[in-house]
Amino acid sequence: MPSTPQPGFFNLWSALTPPLKAGQYRLDAQIDLDPGVAPTALPVEPGQTFFTVDAPRFALPADQLLSTYPPADGNGAYSERLPQVVLKRRTLPWERAPGTGADATLPWLALVVIAEGEGTLSPEADITQCVTPGVTLAGAADVTQGVYLEVTKTVIDAVFPAKEDLPLLCHVRQVDLSDTELALGDDDGWMAVVLANRLPWPASADPTTTGGAGQPAAAPVRYLACLINLEGQLAALPDAAGDETGTFVPVDAIAHFDVYADAFADPDTLAMAQPAAGTPPAGPPPATVARSTLADTWATGPPAAAAARALGVDAGRAVRDLMAQPWRTPVSTVTTDQTYRFPVLTHWQFTVDADPSFEGLMQALDVALLGSVPEPDPQAPPPPRPVPDVAATGHVGLAHLTRRGDQATAWYRGPLAPRPTGRDESATPHGPLPVAHASDQLRRVTPDGREDLTYAAAFEIGRLLALSQPPVVAALMRWRAEQFGAARAAQLAAQTVAGTSLLGGAPAVTDVPDLGRIVGGALLGRIDADPAATVGPRRPLADPGAPIAGLAGDLEAVVATGLGLNLGALRAQGAKLGAVDALANTAVPLAETPPGPVLEGPDLAALRTAAEAVAGGLAAEAAAGAAPLAGAEASASARPDALDDLLTELES
Amino acid sequence: MTDRTLLTSAVTVQAALAVSASLGGSLQPQPPDPRTGPRVIPNDLADWLAALRLLAAVPFAYLVPDAELLPQESARFFYLDRAWTDALVQGAMSVGTVTTADHAQLEAVYPYVRDEVDEAERLARVAGHDPAPLGPAGTITGLLLRSRAVAGWPGLHVRAYSELVPDDAMLPDSDSRRLRLLRVERLAPAVLLVLVDGVPRIVHVEEPRQGLQFGVRPPDGDPDGATRQGLVPPRDIRTGEPLVPMDDKTNWVPVRFRPNAPGVLNLRKTRDALLAVQGTNMGSDVDSAEFAIQLLRYPYRQVFGPAGPQTDPEENPSSTGTKAGWAQVFRPQVGVPELLADFTGETS
Repeated sequence: MPSTPQPGFFNLWSALTPPLKAGQYRLDAQIDLDPGVAPTALPVEPGQTFFTVDAPRFALPADQLLSTYPPADGNGAYSERLPQVVLKRRTLPWERAPGTGADATLPWLALVVIAEGEGTLSPEADITQCVTPGVTLAGAADVTQGVYLEVTKTVIDAVFPAKEDLPLLCHVRQVDLSDTELALGDDDGWMAVVLANRLPWPASADPTTTGGAGQPAAAPVRYLACLINLEGQLAALPDAAGDETGTFVPVDAIAHFDVYADAFADPDTLAMAQPAAGTPPAGPPPATVARSTLADTWATGPPAAAAARALGVDAGRAVRDLMAQPWRTPVSTVTTDQTYRFPVLTHWQFTVDADPSFEGLMQALDVALLGSVPEPDPQAPPPPRPVPDVAATGHVGLAHLTRRGDQATAWYRGPLAPRPTGRDESATPHGPLPVAHASDQLRRVTPDGREDLTYAAAFEIGRLLALSQPPVVAALMRWRAEQFGAARAAQLAAQTVAGTSLLGGAPAVTDVPDLGRIVGGALLGRIDADPAATVGPRRPLADPGAPIAGLAGDLEAVVATGLGLNLGALRAQGAKLGAVDALANTAVPLAETPPGPVLEGPDLAALRTAAEAVAGGLAAEAAAGAAPLAGAEASASARPDALDDLLTELES
Repeated sequence: MTDRTLLTSAVTVQAALAVSASLGGSLQPQPPDPRTGPRVIPNDLADWLAALRLLAAVPFAYLVPDAELLPQESARFFYLDRAWTDALVQGAMSVGTVTTADHAQLEAVYPYVRDEVDEAERLARVAGHDPAPLGPAGTITGLLLRSRAVAGWPGLHVRAYSELVPDDAMLPDSDSRRLRLLRVERLAPAVLLVLVDGVPRIVHVEEPRQGLQFGVRPPDGDPDGATRQGLVPPRDIRTGEPLVPMDDKTNWVPVRFRPNAPGVLNLRKTRDALLAVQGTNMGSDVDSAEFAIQLLRYPYRQVFGPAGPQTDPEENPSSTGTKAGWAQVFRPQVGVPELLADFTGETS
């Protein structure tokens, strides 16, 4: 794959032949399992697949046509350029075989350009009618109806490319896709080009001076360009002509046609066979016999009526029929010459006239700034209408019928000015003018007393253009309604916020047009500023426990007394080791279990009762100390804390 | 229909939608709208107003109030009057304003609307791969071309440059010297309107390429083709460069025609004539690509700009056909005294 050319450059290739031409194929698949074993030893059933390689045949798909030159229905000086058609698929001209043997590699497409009267373009016909009788095209057709071009052998010999010319007229172009001017909207940057072999030349004005030097060609000629299918009909093409000439004869048949048309237009001449007044002048013979013979029929044919023409096979048949009228003259009925039919894939027409070329037109342009009027030639007769009154600023004096009915003149300048105009031109010493609400606000009076309606007219046409499009009016109204709705919501929010004591000093409501968010934000801000006042006092992390009565006093004395230790010794040791280590190092005196009689009977019961009473008293005392943790019911004796205060406040 | 079938068909539909969406995306790359942030007016309305600013649908009589200002076969350069287009937009915005509240609202938001339409205006005709231009709108200039060239050659290429570039320059769209075209439209079959974002120093108008073209040129001194001859310059097929001077057709190869066949080339003889030329690197035979290169014709390019040749006119020998006084095209030429004299009726 060659590299893609740079933008602005291109590569040309002489041909790109597809590996398979269009047609029906059979694919035989055979698997050889082991190269060392004969296929018959391990037989695998061969597979067969049928497939069709498709290609356009009688009609060009609309998406395959990238561009034509000259443009369809163009009217201009195209005489120095070869007509061409650019096809999207690069292999298209080589996808079918026009002949057999060595001819199979030739392109099957040719672009032929015929002048008015040289051939017949058929209406939609069955595709079996689209080839010369006697020729059959094997294989499937892509469409059922097609268009064909019917021409005589004489015209073919004169106009059609020779067989050996065909490869020269088709090539492939490769461009960079990003080069939009060259890529023409192609998808891969490769395109096939089919050239015609004929320069479309206008006819000379006067047939008696055909070819005379210094006689400008004048009569426009309509040409028809047809992309034809040459399958099976290569033999009809002319031989590679040995004759040559440095100049060529012009298309003068058209001029002859005009003369004949005049002659036949007279009913006397037609009906009574009287000699016509406008006998064709004696000039050189027409270019081809065929066209001379055709002239009669052509002259009485209907005029070509339409100017617009759609390309491609998808255009309406009626339009196509109308457009093809000039080429509808049945060739075979007026000539004994052998006629041939070629399927036409696509066709378009154009008119070549004797206008100056593009170059000539551009160089003859009168170039200036808008607002300048060409100086009238003093020698020339006065113009039919007065020269406009143009000021140096580009303003034009126009007749103005005022509202009171006065005839006046007013200045007007369109949006296209001959000098830079500032945007703030309308500004006054007091600042820019306010927005205009009516066109009359933009009317001015110039120093010469005349009104300047420039901007008033602009305002008015803008208003009318907006009014002329209901969707725009609807969009404007909807937008305005939304604007008013938003303003109303913002106002409401402002009022609401201003009226709320809680949210006093809320942020500017115009910034956030959402009341909910303003209120939420303000509430959270206030809560955060002083939560003790808003929500309540903070609860302490831990509550102090209730004092235990038995533990009052010196802790060491209590421990020493309870454990039966010597307090003095403990204190002395604690002074050295510390109280905790002193305790750890002091052995607790254990009471000897007296070996006396076991307490039994009523004594035991009395002792148990006494012990239970003591335990009950201790438990009640402990329960009274833990009351704040137990719940609100038992808290009457405990000191109320912050939560109790809050609850009381709530209940009150 | 079982659940499984339902599921499968739903999956199929989704897959098809995804494929079509990706295809559509690849076929038509839609650049994301670069306008972000809160907007006073919706983007579609801004786009419409921007199109209005670029004079879409404004009747032609409002653009050119008198036919004499744009005679046949003329080109007229201009500046776009911002005050005029602002008045146009104000007129469009005034639709439906009834009460003073409406007016007050319009006055309050108009400065924002103006800025947003400025932005939308610069986004006109932005190609997919170009960086979107943003920022305040600058000066818009343009060209009105009324000529048969517009009618006969649809799709003219117009390029405007902010600096002097060679006549044969071929700068890409993204080049900083190339000014963006805001509008290129045929208002009538023979009238072309071009709006340029900026003030160009040089403008190229080129024949539409329609692909490349192939053809011949008439001999010197015969612009109308009265001699009915065609010449081609032999080229080196490796480079495409012509082997003979482009402005002297003495050594050009005459194209051979078929006798008695109007305009039909005799390709074999033409090929033989081309093969006889030394230096074309074509070898012993001519294939279609080589033949096409020999017949290549570049589009003609007309340069509007300061007089004087910019480069050697290789393929466009007369492209420097600029007229005297062109340097003044984009300079204000009116002073206040002249204006006063003009408006008060005192002819100088």
